[in-house]
Amino acid sequence: MTTGKLPVAVLLLVVMAGFVQFSYDSQRGYFAERDVFLTLPTGKVLKVFSFGYHRLVADVLFIWSIQFYSSYHLVNRFDHIERIFNVITDLRPKFRAAYYIGSIIMALEAKDYQMAIRLLQKGSRNMSDEWVFDYEAAYYARKYLGDYRLAETYYRRALRNPSAPALIRRQMAHMVYLQDNLQEARKLWADIYQNSSSDLERNAAIHHLYQIKFELDKKMLETKIRRYRQHYGRNPINLNELRRTGLINEVPKDFSGQDYLYDLKTGTIQPRKSFKWKRFS
Amino acid sequence: MKIRAIAINTFREAARNKVFYLLIVVGLVFVLSSRVVSLLVIGDRVQVLKDIGLAAINFFSVLIAIFTGINLVFKEIDKKTVYNILSKPISRHCFILGKFLGLAFTLLVALGSMMLVFSMFLLLAAGEFDWRLLIYFLLLYSELLIITAVSLVFSSFSTPILSSIFTIIVYLIGHVVWTFNEFKHRLVDPVVKIVAYVMYYILPNLEKYNIKDQLVMGESVRWNLVGYSLLYAALYISALLLLSVIIFNRREFQ
Amino acid sequence: MDILRGVSFQVDAGEIFGFLGPNGAGKTTTMKCILGLLRPDSGTIEIFRHGYDRTDVRTRVGFLPEYPYFYEYLSGPELLRFSARLFPVATGMIEARIQVLMKMVGLEGVGSLKLKKYSKGMVQRIGLAQALINDPDLVMLDEPFSGLDPIGRKELRDIVFHLKDAGKTVFFSSHILQDMEMIVDKVGIIFKGRILKQGRLTDLVTEYIHSFEIVFTGVAEDKIRTRLGIPTRQDDNQMVRTRGIEEMNQAVDFIRKNHGRILSVTPVRKTLEDIFLEEIQR
Repeated sequence: MTTGKLPVAVLLLVVMAGFVQFSYDSQRGYFAERDVFLTLPTGKVLKVFSFGYHRLVADVLFIWSIQFYSSYHLVNRFDHIERIFNVITDLRPKFRAAYYIGSIIMALEAKDYQMAIRLLQKGSRNMSDEWVFDYEAAYYARKYLGDYRLAETYYRRALRNPSAPALIRRQMAHMVYLQDNLQEARKLWADIYQNSSSDLERNAAIHHLYQIKFELDKKMLETKIRRYRQHYGRNPINLNELRRTGLINEVPKDFSGQDYLYDLKTGTIQPRKSFKWKRFS
Repeated sequence: MKIRAIAINTFREAARNKVFYLLIVVGLVFVLSSRVVSLLVIGDRVQVLKDIGLAAINFFSVLIAIFTGINLVFKEIDKKTVYNILSKPISRHCFILGKFLGLAFTLLVALGSMMLVFSMFLLLAAGEFDWRLLIYFLLLYSELLIITAVSLVFSSFSTPILSSIFTIIVYLIGHVVWTFNEFKHRLVDPVVKIVAYVMYYILPNLEKYNIKDQLVMGESVRWNLVGYSLLYAALYISALLLLSVIIFNRREFQ
Repeated sequence: MDILRGVSFQVDAGEIFGFLGPNGAGKTTTMKCILGLLRPDSGTIEIFRHGYDRTDVRTRVGFLPEYPYFYEYLSGPELLRFSARLFPVATGMIEARIQVLMKMVGLEGVGSLKLKKYSKGMVQRIGLAQALINDPDLVMLDEPFSGLDPIGRKELRDIVFHLKDAGKTVFFSSHILQDMEMIVDKVGIIFKGRILKQGRLTDLVTEYIHSFEIVFTGVAEDKIRTRLGIPTRQDDNQMVRTRGIEEMNQAVDFIRKNHGRILSVTPVRKTLEDIFLEEIQR
């Protein structure tokens, strides 16, 4: 072999090796990659063994995971997602994007909302000056778990942050309302109304206060109506009757100062304006 | 045969190097200490035993592969013993091949003895003998030969410190390249994509020799993958040795 | 930076060629070029009428480098055995050859002592032995005399003559003139990467003969005086000095014509050292 041909031979061999690599990859299947994470050490251990490059390792893992989890053709790819994102966030506790994107993948792709919330809570703990993690957690709790109490907790946490937007206060108040905690809700909305700096917000507060007042009044009035019925065997003709018979001190008006609508036949109160935030109203 | 003469000589020289023995001994110490460490573990002790033992053997044999190779070639050039050889009717490629074979044999001895100790140790400590260990060591040996060939390439033109650094970098890259696999076809920019593809296939892909997971978790051997891995090693080593010869051919000895 | 700036010479078979020059002149570089360890930018090198770059040419060449260094953990015979295996030497012959060489270089008693423990002189000797292991036709020695004591130098000179008798060509470099003067056939003077002069030692030296001493008797003093100047007395004889060959011949004729008896005609030569220094000063 003449010396001139040697570099060609080197190139040829490397190309052939590339082909072998390709064959290997196509035979291996992704499951082999999954197995790597069976023995991936915890974040703390990995941090030690990154010898100071833990940030880089976190970044690499993160980039890899985004690619991996957007491979839609791979089924069962979420088996270890919590572990992986725990490792990433242990390596870089303030890795904003990891918490955010990780939780989105968990919630919207893997549809495991509890898991997403756990990750977001970790983010909230590690980055206490961020309100967005609690906000997202509350969103998932509310929208997908239907757990208003949990959502309320998270909104409150978000509100500990002075830069939390006003929107969150409204959301929280709404959660309180949705739990039928009407007195508390009214207080909250009253606060909002008083401290508000925007018309939009004041309008919203008014609507909520209207609805809350209505529900409170409705409850009270309908209880009294039932008692009237027990006494007198029929529904009162109008609300004034309740006042006359001493069941109520005065007829409540709605929040805008208007009368409620009274249905004689069913003995129920209807509002003039209705806001259907709850399924059953 | 001339290549054989150089190979035997290389082995003899490596075997007299104190650092060589030191690395083997320390490696074995780690292996044996895994017994102690495993006592601290609740749960599967044997798995920890295997993990530490295999990791120690892997780590120290890689060190041996890198440093022995570089030292030997550098010593030859620095101490000018290479003049005596090259002024004789030895073509330069014979010299390189002889060196490589000598190193390959040295590694075989080192790795073989560590494997033997480990197997016996495993037998005594856990009462099991896993013939799949042989497959693991075969693959590890192939990987070590690739690394040796890399170190040979670098030491044919560079100082030992730089050669060591470069070889270590190549080793680390070799164990990270596999991550390219998933996302390389997802890149948008065609230039970047081509670069990524080329890099993925040209850079040595060493993670395939790491079947520690499968071994420790008790999975079965996938023979087609083993075959591909060995073929890959053969091709890549040939390419590297040829590259070494090309570089060494051009070398002037002041 | 160029090291060699014009080196041309020819070494004929069976002769001892001395390559003379001060340190840094390019002697070792030239030898390395010949051996294929360095590649010259231009020019041709031929050994045994073949291109020098062929590996098979080196089967007939032996080389002793300036600071020989060998594998320290081998013994003398082991080194020779290893070196022999790099040649197409029949394995049966190797052991015999090793014995012969060890004796030739004066190391027959050392046995299995490791090269690590060899003295400098011993290393030089074993180096020579490995240069000769393949019974080469061309022996190249780089500064072989440096570091040897007088006995060692004598022994080396004897070996070189012995090699010449065996029909081999010996090429060696040195910056020490005395040894060279005693053994070389041809000389090449190199200085600052350039060959200043080359040629047979006798020719070079003859070129530089500048006078003759004639010792004679039997010629009347006054006759000598007129013709050849005042002679000096040496015991009972007279001695005159003449310049150049022509003058010398005329003087001889004159003495003979005057019934004198020539006892000796001795050329007063410049030594190699004189030649060397003169060339350098040009």
